[in-house]
Amino acid sequence: MLSELLQGIETGGLLIIQDSCSYSGRDLLRSFIAAALNREEEVHVLCFDVSEDELTDGLKPPYTQRLHVHNAYPDPLGWTDHPAFAVQQFRVEDLTDLVKQASQPKPATLVIDSLSWVLRHAAPPAVCRTLQQLRKGGAVRAVVALLHADMHQRGTVGSVCHLASSLIAVAPGPKGNEAVAKITKRSKSGKVAQDEETFCITEDLTVAVLSRLPEARPNGSEEEQADPTANLTFNLRLSESELEAKQKLTLPFVFSKEKKTALLHPGPGSGRILYEPDANDDYDQEDPDDDLDV
Amino acid sequence: MFTELNSILSSSPDSVTPGEFILVSDRQSDASFLIHHFLSFYLRSRCKVIFLGLVQSFRHYSAVSQRLGVSLTQAKEKGQLVFMEGLKESLSVLIPQADNTESQAMNFLRDPPVGLRSLYEFVRSCAVGSGRAEDGAEEWGPPVLLVDDVSVLLSLGVDAGAVLDFSHYCRAAVCSQMKGNMVMLVRCNGEEEEEEDGEEGAEALLKGLTHQCSLNLHVQGLPTGYCKDIHGQVEVCWKRRQGDGPHTQRNLFQYKVHDKGASFFPRGTSSAVL
Repeated sequence: MLSELLQGIETGGLLIIQDSCSYSGRDLLRSFIAAALNREEEVHVLCFDVSEDELTDGLKPPYTQRLHVHNAYPDPLGWTDHPAFAVQQFRVEDLTDLVKQASQPKPATLVIDSLSWVLRHAAPPAVCRTLQQLRKGGAVRAVVALLHADMHQRGTVGSVCHLASSLIAVAPGPKGNEAVAKITKRSKSGKVAQDEETFCITEDLTVAVLSRLPEARPNGSEEEQADPTANLTFNLRLSESELEAKQKLTLPFVFSKEKKTALLHPGPGSGRILYEPDANDDYDQEDPDDDLDV
Repeated sequence: MFTELNSILSSSPDSVTPGEFILVSDRQSDASFLIHHFLSFYLRSRCKVIFLGLVQSFRHYSAVSQRLGVSLTQAKEKGQLVFMEGLKESLSVLIPQADNTESQAMNFLRDPPVGLRSLYEFVRSCAVGSGRAEDGAEEWGPPVLLVDDVSVLLSLGVDAGAVLDFSHYCRAAVCSQMKGNMVMLVRCNGEEEEEEDGEEGAEALLKGLTHQCSLNLHVQGLPTGYCKDIHGQVEVCWKRRQGDGPHTQRNLFQYKVHDKGASFFPRGTSSAVL
């Protein structure tokens, strides 16, 4: 799903990249800028958090003609007399003028680095209203914003992310340069799709999706039964060879069917008893006590 | 200057990486020994150092630096060190006297919601002043700002957002524009809470500064408790490293503070153990 998002955001879409202290989402943001420039879109960047050089590092020169950076980094609050762009200018009218000034007929993609700066200095409802009006207005085609989720209250983060049509939450991955992205995509029909992917970003700002993690691991169908041979002071367990010997052992009075019939119906060659009574034996089947001398 | 820390950070007084924002943070521990390291380190690399000492007197830093082999008094006389002694300057605001002009830098004490704009103007004027070499004065390297410490501003009534704005502006001016460096100490007292919901407070300040910095040295006590031979652990976290590709790198070391320095070693290799 990450690759689909990189290939294009639908018109009127708002993509929010959520990051935290442990992993910075800025490289993913730069990948989105690079992908938009490759698609020959006009890109306007509001640069608050880092300097322009740091943000555009790695973006190739031929495409940077379509890239317009509004550098708010040196003076975002207007403390000097001539700020290039101040956070107070984050309003629909000012932003629309800014984008239209570039005098390109195509609507542009607006990239905000980062939305946290704006949220610290403007009320969250106002910011949400501005974002929503920007999407509906014609000047901006799509908005991509970076948000530091751990710098704000959960309610603020939740409200802003609720507006988003796509949300990517990045976190550090298992290995050094990998990261895990939890993607939520809300389509216009109201359907919500979620996915989790591992990715890494190469030097030239392309995103390599490494694996898709299964959404839910199947719940342990093997129930854990209490193991009676655990926690004893003596050993009740069997080794492999002992287990084999046990399987082979036949018990003394457990007969198989063949053995049973052989015993009950003795065939030829089995032992027979021959009785020859001598003089002292009184072989009288009717009276067993005949030989008693009473 | 701690030589072992220099090799861990791959830095030396002769080659200082420009444009770095080094955040020294601690949690229920005391990381001020690292401030003394950076102070002597940058003085030795012949940079112009602007020190905002908000929590201790000049004499304290001078005494410790003497043991590390650097004389603060001399550096101040030569013009290499600009030392703003917060404790003394604040008196001029809190107890205004007729003949004593009020220090503009600390005027946030009078009105905390105003923010730290004047403090930033003070820093900027000191840093810009280093560019012009006066007759007979020595040429110093790029400016370096050291702040000890930033959390005390919170207890003086300044908003965490205002402190983040101040650090942003200082970074823009000192690191990006003048290619200097910046070192700030921030302290947290509580346990790390997962459900921290507030925007104010030391936790929010720490998180905001961690997002801004390029190198974070996080000092904590040992998770197993007190130990006589190992004073704690330092987690070194590089956020942006040119040439290594876009990923963060973390390393964990343990340290022991001596009389004249500190030694750093990987976990489990303390000389008391081996």
